[in-house]
Amino acid sequence: MDDIEGADASGRLAEFQSEVERLRIRGSSPTTEQRFLTAGIVLMPLGVILVLVGWFGASGTTEFSSQVPYLISGGILGLTLAVVGAALFLRYSLARYFRYWLMRLIYEERTSTDRQVDVLSRIEKLLNNS
Amino acid sequence: MAAPPVLELRGIRAGYGRIEVLHAVDLVVPAGAVVGLLGPNGAGKTTTLAVISGQVSPSAGHVYMLGRDVTGASVDALARAGVCTIPEGRGIFPNLTVAENIRMFTHRGVSRKECEDRAFHHFPRLIERRHVLAGRLSGGEQQMLSLARGLATEPALLLLDELSMGLAPIVVEELYGIVAGIAREGVSILVVEQFARTVLAVADHAAIMTGGRVQHAGPPQEIEQALSSAYLGASA
Repeated sequence: MDDIEGADASGRLAEFQSEVERLRIRGSSPTTEQRFLTAGIVLMPLGVILVLVGWFGASGTTEFSSQVPYLISGGILGLTLAVVGAALFLRYSLARYFRYWLMRLIYEERTSTDRQVDVLSRIEKLLNNS
Repeated sequence: MAAPPVLELRGIRAGYGRIEVLHAVDLVVPAGAVVGLLGPNGAGKTTTLAVISGQVSPSAGHVYMLGRDVTGASVDALARAGVCTIPEGRGIFPNLTVAENIRMFTHRGVSRKECEDRAFHHFPRLIERRHVLAGRLSGGEQQMLSLARGLATEPALLLLDELSMGLAPIVVEELYGIVAGIAREGVSILVVEQFARTVLAVADHAAIMTGGRVQHAGPPQEIEQALSSAYLGASA
């Protein structure tokens, strides 16, 4: 019996070893989410500023070939940064909100169940006493 | 060559926001051993378990499992790999039946029948209660259900948080007897407890944690002698 238990134990340990080797470690930090949120908040106005800079630069010349750099670096890049920033801000803000909402739902569900169990116990006691 | 420990913490610092709770914690759980992590309320024991299970990311230090650095691994990845936490307060679903609670743990690809067989093998008392709402069970039975769910996933590393909380001494003794049996099957177990003596009876090693630091670590006999001074802060 000890040999069988020993064989099972080392088998499980070997399985755990292979599972651990296969783990993908992304290296999270407590502030990763906050960093992405901050990046989103910074990129949005930065993108708008770049668009404005591109607009002012392009408006200062009538030659199309001189306007193209402003269009690309100001207009397109600025728009891209603003959209990416908005997406990051929205994604991480919503994640926080929904996480709080889910915790709240779980908490209220458990409180409600505790109350139901309490009422059922009291009903049971009353029925037993009568 | 000796097998690496199934769990090793090196220099772990962790906390909540700006409050650091763990200060350079070192801890080792050898393969197949029961290790008790003892200490008073607020010592940082539960936070240590949260770091191991991936729920809290350490701000410094490393978590090693069988020699591999797994610091930063996600909670679900570690759970799928075989790290199972039985939380303080049991963590069962009170509005589901015993059978339904066990069925929740088929996520590791284990069939429902296998889950139930493993759970009821260790806790035959739950068989007659399988259709009872978990919230209606006694404290001891809820703790058994909590353990049964964890064992249904065939963990390699079991993390137990305050198994004895709110239970009568005779029930606690029964539960720790079962824990010793689980350890004999090769599961490595880290038990966090305030009430030291019951754990020391089944542990292979133990450590005392106070103020977020491991103050003493060693065999149970050694730890038992250091208990009073560690908990009450008296000089040795």
